[in-house]
Amino acid sequence: MTKFQRFLLKRLAISVLLTLVAVSVIFVVLRLLPGSPFEALVTSGNLNQEQITEIRAMYGLDEPMWRQYVNYLTSLLTFQFGYSILRSQPVWAVLEPRLINSLILLVPALVTTAILSSLLGMYAGWNRGSRLEKFSIVSTTLLRSTPVFITAIFFIIVFAYNLELAPALGMRSIRATPDGYIETFASLDFLHHYLLPFAVAVLYYSGDFLLLARNGVVEKRGSEFLKLHRAKGLTEMEQLARAGRNSMLPILTYFTLRLGMIFQGLILLEVVFSWPGIGRELVLAIQQQDYPLVQAAVFIMALAVILANLAADVLYAYFDPTVSASGGGSA
Amino acid sequence: MTLLEVDNLKVTYQTDDDPVHAVNDVSFTIDEGVNYGLAGESGSGKSTVAEALLGLLPGNGTVERGTIEFDGKDLTSLSAAERRDVLWEDIAYIPQSAMDSLDPVMSTGDQIAQAIHTHRNVTDTKACERVRELFEIVGLDPNRVDDYPHEFSGGMRQRVTIAMALALEPDLIIADEPTTGLDVIVQDKIIDKILEIQERMDSSLLLITHEIGVIAETCDELSILYGGKVMEQGSVDNVLVNPTNPYTMGLKNSFPEIDEEDEDPVAIPGSPPNLNGEPTSCVFQDRCPFATDECGESHPDPVELPNRNHRSACHRVKESAQMRQAADDPETWDIPDDGDSESDRGEVILETDALEKHYEQSQSLLSKVRGEDPDHVKAVDGISLSVRRSEVLGVAGESGCGKSTLGETMALLEEPTGGELVFDGEPYEYYQDGNQREFRRKMQIIFQDPFDSLNPRQTVRKLVGEPLTIHDYRTDEKEQAIVETLEKVGLTPAEEYLDQYPHELSGGQRQRVAVAKALVLDPDFLICDEPASMLDVSLKVNLLNLLRGLADTEDIGIVYISHDLASLVQVSDRLAVMYLGRVIEEGDVNHIATQPSHPYTASLLSAAPEKDPTADRTRVLLEGEPPDPVDLPSGCAFAPRCPKAQESCWESEPAIDETGDERHQAACYFPEGDDDPTTVDTSATDSDGASSINADSIGD
Amino acid sequence: MSTGTEREAEVYKRVDAVWTTVCDQFAFLRQDRLAFGGMLVVAAFVFLGLFGPFLAPHDPIEHTVRGGDGSVFRLTAPSAEAFFGTTSYGKDVLSQFLAGARPTLIVGLFGGLGTGALGFTVGVVSGYYGGWVDELLMRLTDLTFSLPFMPMALLLLTFMTPNIWLITAIIAAFLWKMPARVVRSEVLSVRERTFVKSARASGASDLRTMLYHVAPNVLPIGFLYTAYGVAWAIAAQASLAFLGFGDPTMTSWGRMLRQVFASGNMRVAWWWVLPPAVGIAAITTSVFLIGRAYEEVINPEIQTDQ
Repeated sequence: MTKFQRFLLKRLAISVLLTLVAVSVIFVVLRLLPGSPFEALVTSGNLNQEQITEIRAMYGLDEPMWRQYVNYLTSLLTFQFGYSILRSQPVWAVLEPRLINSLILLVPALVTTAILSSLLGMYAGWNRGSRLEKFSIVSTTLLRSTPVFITAIFFIIVFAYNLELAPALGMRSIRATPDGYIETFASLDFLHHYLLPFAVAVLYYSGDFLLLARNGVVEKRGSEFLKLHRAKGLTEMEQLARAGRNSMLPILTYFTLRLGMIFQGLILLEVVFSWPGIGRELVLAIQQQDYPLVQAAVFIMALAVILANLAADVLYAYFDPTVSASGGGSA
Repeated sequence: MTLLEVDNLKVTYQTDDDPVHAVNDVSFTIDEGVNYGLAGESGSGKSTVAEALLGLLPGNGTVERGTIEFDGKDLTSLSAAERRDVLWEDIAYIPQSAMDSLDPVMSTGDQIAQAIHTHRNVTDTKACERVRELFEIVGLDPNRVDDYPHEFSGGMRQRVTIAMALALEPDLIIADEPTTGLDVIVQDKIIDKILEIQERMDSSLLLITHEIGVIAETCDELSILYGGKVMEQGSVDNVLVNPTNPYTMGLKNSFPEIDEEDEDPVAIPGSPPNLNGEPTSCVFQDRCPFATDECGESHPDPVELPNRNHRSACHRVKESAQMRQAADDPETWDIPDDGDSESDRGEVILETDALEKHYEQSQSLLSKVRGEDPDHVKAVDGISLSVRRSEVLGVAGESGCGKSTLGETMALLEEPTGGELVFDGEPYEYYQDGNQREFRRKMQIIFQDPFDSLNPRQTVRKLVGEPLTIHDYRTDEKEQAIVETLEKVGLTPAEEYLDQYPHELSGGQRQRVAVAKALVLDPDFLICDEPASMLDVSLKVNLLNLLRGLADTEDIGIVYISHDLASLVQVSDRLAVMYLGRVIEEGDVNHIATQPSHPYTASLLSAAPEKDPTADRTRVLLEGEPPDPVDLPSGCAFAPRCPKAQESCWESEPAIDETGDERHQAACYFPEGDDDPTTVDTSATDSDGASSINADSIGD
Repeated sequence: MSTGTEREAEVYKRVDAVWTTVCDQFAFLRQDRLAFGGMLVVAAFVFLGLFGPFLAPHDPIEHTVRGGDGSVFRLTAPSAEAFFGTTSYGKDVLSQFLAGARPTLIVGLFGGLGTGALGFTVGVVSGYYGGWVDELLMRLTDLTFSLPFMPMALLLLTFMTPNIWLITAIIAAFLWKMPARVVRSEVLSVRERTFVKSARASGASDLRTMLYHVAPNVLPIGFLYTAYGVAWAIAAQASLAFLGFGDPTMTSWGRMLRQVFASGNMRVAWWWVLPPAVGIAAITTSVFLIGRAYEEVINPEIQTDQ
């Protein structure tokens, strides 16, 4: 077994364990805490005894706690999420389109910003002390540190209400009744709605990538190997390319981690723009106490992070020629 | 034909405070085919000159005035694009630290090919062929062109940068401290390689180094820099044999020489000048014992000495012969000559018997389940030594030989995995078993790096006082204890230093604080792990003299660990030479230095450069690198590289007392000096084991 | 007598030394105009947080702005009666803005300090001891990374009555992972430095080495992440309040934004949106700008030649 395989196996085991613990924490929060939501669900509302028994049976609340736990585990891990209370639909049927809607907004935004901001950041770092560098840092700091819903509100007020360039809310106009994903997404109307949330997401994430790339290049700029490259007669741009290549790894790792946190990062963005994604659905479900939906959505979010963490570690160990996989990868 | 002419070059660095005048009116010329040396301590401006030549000055450095004419063109007036064309095509560069100078995420072959592609319009296959050819020239395996820098050892990486410098057969190669940080044997081979190749290519070389010995052996002409000024320049034979400048005399005297163990090296007291203003007086005035009023008025212009290639910048150059004579006497430099007070050695204070420190290699779960024995790295493998009070035991060896681990195991910072360690009459188990504090009070260790061995957030008072607090020692007279100790190590007046932080001190002062920290508890034993390796020559000598003095007057035992044989010879009474975790030769230091028994010791001794350019030394170039300490060959560990190895060497390992007596013993079947004609040149490569190991370690 | 003055002088010297250290730490502010501006904003914000409620002309919730005829001023633009206009319920926006600074300050300050202190401790202990302690603590941070902050906070706040200290605690409980990781990796490199080995060699105990030799050398990065923690806590608190999970008894800037957003008056009532939105954006950005400037000073990697 090579070092890399051993490393991979260890990370994999850790991820599985983490998933189990995370899922258990969700279970504890939802079932065991005093006044837990499932209890509240039963006791609230004007239900008669029969209905209560029926609901308890339906959600397995009449069984002993360990049984509930086992049932819960097996159902989550096999992606059997049960029925949504409010929507009277299988949870997966509710979540699946929402998941797709979130992905179609956030993945392109993240990729766009990772590429553009990193390039800009590298250029800014190379020209340290320039106006461009200062301006780009200040503006991205502003965008990154301001809570995303405030940026979103500003964008709505300026671009939707005052300039009327794009609609403020929703993913399609109210009259549209598309059928299937292709019809939903492949239309000008969708693109029109897409514009503002996409822009806000891109700008919101720009700060981290820009700074990461800029610091990386600043750090490399004074390095010995770049001095040798310079002595070889490489042009400024060729040198910058080498400095950039040497700063890629943290950016790549960070991108992967961000990708994992994609569903939980921009919940408020979806809320403000009324984007029918998984984040907004989760907030609605919490407000309306639709707990099967909540636990499924939280589980998906946690799983995404764990998988991304795993991917980041493996990528790091794989791509860095100088890291021996055994000790490599930040724990 | 003049190739490079530097005329009145002046470079300053802009800082937050005053500008630093790093290079002040430096002029020199290099003729075609000539090897030129630039010598000087750190801060002398020698690297800045190189950076100015290459146009690689950092952003805050500017060439204020002067011209750099190369092949008739003034490099300072070229545009960026024109300069890029000159770089590498005409002037190539071998950087200081090969460890960091190669792009970590690009294969070494590609980096060389990149240099070719930048300047020549050639196909990929052509470039690739050339790279393989270059690898061969510098002695690397051409099949490793696709390897990344981290897969090479330090010496091999330096070979890669040399190969890169040769790629376009430039007219001038600038080598900036090309061997700093490399082991002496590797250094010797690199220098040898540079010379050999350069002979063949017929290019000029500008060699920048602080080691006068390296210049003496390789260069035809040199300039000696100090404080950004040329102090003395001319042909190596003139300048180094008959220096006319007090600084050159001082610099030359501070290099200890292995075969001059009777003469104490004479250090230059004081510290390098502050360069925050343009020099108005002679830059060396403060430290020069011969300074007169005239020296305070202006920095002397270089004076051409009649009838030879030799210039010196000294107001009193006419009296150079007298000065030269006076400079050999320590008293001239205000250093008390304590003579050779051979103090009596006391009783044995530390003794090790077959001491071992093995590190377990991490193992897969599967082989653990199977109960397989894990591999071990035998960093310290059965070492038996003893040290008496008032005695300095030197431990010599290349990097990776386990000498630092030995020091840390002796200090019980690493748990011994086998063998015995007796300190002050008690075995180490006694100390581990609840008497740790006693041990830590009596035994102190001084580490290599003065820039890192002091906590940057503590003042000198806290640094030196902390051991007192920990051990509740002299707490009622703490301040006094601190002051006393600081003065003992030569930081006077001590009050001035008490409230300073490490970053406000110079390297030499920091190392003195580290020594004071160790001495404040009045220890019985001191372990010094390369304490001087990062200091400039003059500071190094000061530290050596300090330690020697401590051993003589304070009755403590000292273990001095270093790779630098010359300073070991200077400071120690007895010497132990380590190779791959074992002591292969041990005994009286003078005896070993003059008549080494073990071939490894002999090659170590022969690799040290001579500062006298007229001296000739025979090189013993060793094959390969030390083998992997996990997978040692059976028999003598040195056999694969040994020029004298025989069948018997491969069969069983010689013990330390194989040859010689109590006063000088070595682990070798065929020691040097035993003239046995059959042993020479039936080289070990015939044997199977040797060829398999050599194949893995082509290179240094 | 003389010993008394000597002791006094000693005390002054100590105070002076501490003061110089503090000044040195903040010296970067003089060089970085943006950070200096940020500092001014932070000072103004702290002032508002402390005295805002007393400065407010009206009670932010009870009082209803009425005209001379007793009619309620609903959703009116800034005027002499209400400098910042009124809300759709006829409340004074200026009063709400002034009063709303306090919860933001409390959560920001204590959330940030809690985050920094918790993360710093975990980071130092984990990095210094290594081994299973490290493994355990790092898996714990992995866990807090994988549990999504916003949903978990919302869940906890649905069945525990939100109050400002509970919110602060939840925020700190989720954010400590950031400084913990960074501090740990910093400790890992400090731990390998010679002076730590040297401390061990001179007989210092683990606790002593950790407190006197390791911790002071990672303190700057701890400060930095405490500052970032303040900004994160403010943003998190505003986001929670915006979703309706704030302290119901207190007016906060996030809650103001929730009300204007929920009431659907965003299109017209710019005077209602701007004060809280600008307030939050200004304070979080300022804290970040100061942090960035500080980072430039303490990060040796990017302190290359200029």
